[in-house]
Parts: sequence; C-alpha cells; structure tokens
Amino acid sequence: MPSLTTRSTPAPVADGAPAAARVAPPPPARRRTTKVRTPLTGRVVKWIVLGATALVMLVPLYIMVINAFKPQEAIISSPLAIGPDTFSLEYLQAALTSEKFNVVRAYGVTLLFVALVNLCGIALAAPVAYVIARGRSKWHLGLLLLFVSGLFIPGQVTLIPVVFVLRVLGLINTIPGFILFETAATLPVTIFLFAAYLRTVPRDIDEAAALDGAGRIRAFWSCVFPIMRPVVATIVVLNSISVWNDFVSPQIILGPSSGIYTVTTGVYAAVGEFSTDYTTVFPTLLLAVSPAIVFFVVMQRHIIGGLVAGATKG
Amino acid sequence: MHSSLTVAPARRRPAARVWRDRLPGIVMGGPAVLVFVAMFIVPMILAFVLSLTDWNGYSLNFTFIGFENYTEVFRNPRTVDAAIFTAVVAFFGTVLCNGVGLALAALIAGPGRTNTLMRTIFFYPYIISALIIGFLWSAILAPEGAVNELLGHLGIPAVPFLTEVGFAKASVILTIVWSHFGFNMILFLAGIKSVPTEYYEAATVDGASRWQQFRAVTLPLIAPVFTVNLVLTLVGLLKVYDVVLALTDGGPAASTQTIVYQILKDSFAQSRLGFGAAQAVILLLVTAVLGLAVTFARRGAEKKVAA
Repeated sequence: MPSLTTRSTPAPVADGAPAAARVAPPPPARRRTTKVRTPLTGRVVKWIVLGATALVMLVPLYIMVINAFKPQEAIISSPLAIGPDTFSLEYLQAALTSEKFNVVRAYGVTLLFVALVNLCGIALAAPVAYVIARGRSKWHLGLLLLFVSGLFIPGQVTLIPVVFVLRVLGLINTIPGFILFETAATLPVTIFLFAAYLRTVPRDIDEAAALDGAGRIRAFWSCVFPIMRPVVATIVVLNSISVWNDFVSPQIILGPSSGIYTVTTGVYAAVGEFSTDYTTVFPTLLLAVSPAIVFFVVMQRHIIGGLVAGATKG
Repeated sequence: MHSSLTVAPARRRPAARVWRDRLPGIVMGGPAVLVFVAMFIVPMILAFVLSLTDWNGYSLNFTFIGFENYTEVFRNPRTVDAAIFTAVVAFFGTVLCNGVGLALAALIAGPGRTNTLMRTIFFYPYIISALIIGFLWSAILAPEGAVNELLGHLGIPAVPFLTEVGFAKASVILTIVWSHFGFNMILFLAGIKSVPTEYYEAATVDGASRWQQFRAVTLPLIAPVFTVNLVLTLVGLLKVYDVVLALTDGGPAASTQTIVYQILKDSFAQSRLGFGAAQAVILLLVTAVLGLAVTFARRGAEKKVAA
C-alpha cells in the first residue's frame, strides 16, 4: 500500500534536480512527512472503501459460481458456503445438456452472429468512411452527419417499424433479417470512428497506389485498409460485446418461433420460467457469463481502450 | 446540325468523366447508405406513420386513427406511471453512477497493480448482459436469497427487496448502479490520467491539499469527460429494459415498469404496435431534447472553466 507516497516522491525528483536529490535526500523526506501526516487515516479510509466496494462487486459472482454446484436445499440454507458434502457437478451437467436451452448451440449461434455482424459492418462501413474522409464537398459532410444522426436514435425506438420493414421484405424471423438490423445498428459508431481515423492517414498512400495503377476501390482495400488495424480492432471489440449481450433485437426479430436462440434469449427462455429452481438458475447463468468473463480477462486492455475511444470520440 | 454534333460530345465527355470519377465512390458508399436508410431512416419515418394507425404487427392492413394513440399516451395511467418511474431511474441512476464512478476513479487513479486490479473488479459487470445481471440479482435478493439469509444471521427479518413497491424500485436502481458505474469510472479515469502532472506539482507548490487539488485542478479539466458521462448515462437509462425484465418483470403491481418495458409489452404482447410506436416517438423526442439540453448546459459550464 505504499503507492501514495512512492507516487508523490519520484515525480518531483525526476523533474527537478535529480543530482541534488540523490546527493541530498532530505527534501523528499520532508515532503513525505507532510504528505503522510493527515493522509494516514485517509489511506485507511480509502482502503476500507475500496475493499468494501470490491467485496460488493465480487460476492454476487462468488454466489453464482459456488451455487452452480449445489442442490436446492443447500443453496437456500447456506447460499454463501460450499462444502465437499454438498458439492456436485450434476447441476452444471444438467444445464449443459438441458433440452430447454442448448447452451453449446447458443454459444455457436451467438458467435456466428458476432462474426457475421463484424464482417458485414466493417465491409460496409470502411469504404464509405474512406469516401467521407477523403471527400471535400458538402455532400461528404452531409453523408457523415446522416450516419452520425444514427448515434442518437435508440434501437428500441426503431424496432417496431423495423419489424414492419422486415415483414415487407419477408425477412422477419430469419437470420439475414437479424444480421441486417444488427449490422445497420453498428454503422454509426463504426463509420464515425473509421472516418476520424482515416483523416489521420496521409493521402500519399492513396496517391502511391494510384501511381501503381490501382483503382480507387483496390487502392483502398489493399493499401489503406491494412493501416486501419488499430481502429478495426476497437470496433470489433465494441461490436462483439454489444451483439453478444443484445437481448431485445434477437428476441423480437428472430422470435421464439424461429427456434434460433442466442445466449441471452436462451437464458430468458430457460430461466424465465424456473426462477425459483436455483439448481437451474445458477448453472445456466454461470454457463452464460463464462465466455464473456474469459473474453474480458484476456482482452481487458483492448476492451477498456475501445470503450474509452468509442465514448469520448463519439 | 453539324455544329451540334461537334458540340454535344465535347459537352458530354466531361460529364462522362465526372461519372467515371464518381463511380468508385458510389460503389464504395452505396451499400452502407442503402442499409442505413432501410434500417434507420425509413423506420424513423415509419415510426411516426405507424403511430397514427392501429397496426397490430401481423397483417399489413390497418387504418389511420389520427393522433388518438398520442392522446392515449397521456391518458393511460400505466404509461404515465412507467414514464415517471423511468424518469426516477434515469435521474438517480445518472447521479449515483457518476458520483460513485468519479469517487472511485479519483481513489484508484494512481499507478500500481492494486489500482489496476480494483479497476478490473469494479468494471467487469459492464461487459455482462444486463439480462443476466437482472437474473443474478433477482436470485440474490429473493425472499430466500443470499442477502436475506445473511440478514437472518444478524437477527434482521427478511426484507422484501423485490416484492414491496418501494424496495423493488430501489433494488432496480441499485442493480443498475452496481453494473454500470464501472463504465463511468473508466471514462473518468481516462480523463484524470490525461491531466498533465505539472498542474498537480504547481498546486502542491502552492500548498493545495489533495482535496483542493481535486476540486481546483482535476474537476475543471475533466469537464468534457463529465459531459460525455452524464449524457451517455442519461440517454442509456431512459431506455432501460433488460435488467428490469429479469429482476422484477415490472412488478410488484407494475410499479417497476419502465417506458421501454411498456412499449414492448403494448407492441408485442398486446399486439398494439401503433400505440407502441406513438410512445416510441415520444421517447425519441424526450431523449433528444434531454440529451441536447444536458450537452448545452454542460458546454456553458465547460466554457466558464476555460475562461
């Protein structure tokens, strides 16, 4: 816990006169005493607050994990404890092989949707963002504003008329219809971030490709698009999280009648009716969140960086 | 005639060349524009058109009934109650998410492994689907759930977290704060870390305490991040739905139904998409007005800081 004092001392030492500081340690020492005098209680309070908050954040996760391995009576009588006498893999296995909700299939379906939406969204957004970023006329600015206006239209508002449009197109309750809607939903943020990034890519690259005889479309995909890797990674992270967690769109557009369940609509179908049978609830929830948690732990830096970029630039 | 023949190609050739130059741009931009218009612009217009009808969602036959759906929105007590609860959630949710997020961001802004670990712990619920968060807390707050079991050990009688109106409303708000403040904290952290360290050194030289530094240096410099946080949280909470569905299913006695809950129930459970569309149009207008109002109010505050 010495982070507070070690943080405050090196900065002035490095910035001020390093030689003097090395020769004469008193200044940092004096500084430390003035810092610590009051903050000692402050630091205790700080770590109590952080510790208590961390507990509040982690205990629900702990409850979910341990109770996925216990029978109903043990869950109700002692929800916070687990012992070898009540531990059983049976409930997790039952949830894995449940006929009501095929988790493994839902993972596959949702992953497929995530991949398709990412692929379609980027394939559509990248070229139009390039046209916008390179364009100089007011038409290009208008195009950008058109797409950016989509940032302020909540998906739930357009969902009802989208059902109408998809019904007219004959795509309601179909995978293409769902992918079409989800892809469109990703366009505003994607185009906005892509266009902002492309403005920082020098035009020399386009011109060099043109000199080599490549057309504009080929020049974009073969020379400019590979440079966009960082911003593409950001977008993949953002889109993947939002598609994986979306519940309303698959529930309404695919609908139970299609028989296609994503992780969220599957959990709703399985847990919604059994919400007091905790031997179904906890294992199902555990299976549903595990991929997201693993993805988060592995990709944490990219996820946080992507969210910050998406929110502060958008 | 002879002259027109020579003039015409001369005029046409640049036009053809213009189109040849434009063609790649159209090929590259066209598909995205088409998809966006079909799934955003047309639905936006349709939302208004459908809100004037009695469409049931199945047949493509429906009649126009004027502004009847809109007048019903204000007469229907369920919609009014849902709107009020949504406003309460949006207000307290925005204040608490940003308050807790800012406080914790300030506490863990320094470098160090413990701070990074804390950031991870505070933030992780944000990447879990709101529906699953709702189901998890519904199990934890149930009459026989973990919290009541713990209170029982302390000799406190069971608290009706999800079955009594006041408690259920508070439970919805606190569950949202639990899962969402981490996102606000992440943005505040990014803002705090972008403040140049020289400013703090100058403030230390002037003898400013840590609290004074926070108020006089950090807060003004992260004003833009504050605006983004307020607008995103407010706009997001106005359409809260998944967590309510899983946590309370709008109960008890319909007291925790939000406006989107109401829209989706009227539209799809009751097959009144026309009425649902009218509520959706109003929600869109309210969201836009509030979002812009907060942005402009904050822009004023940001300018005052800059001056």
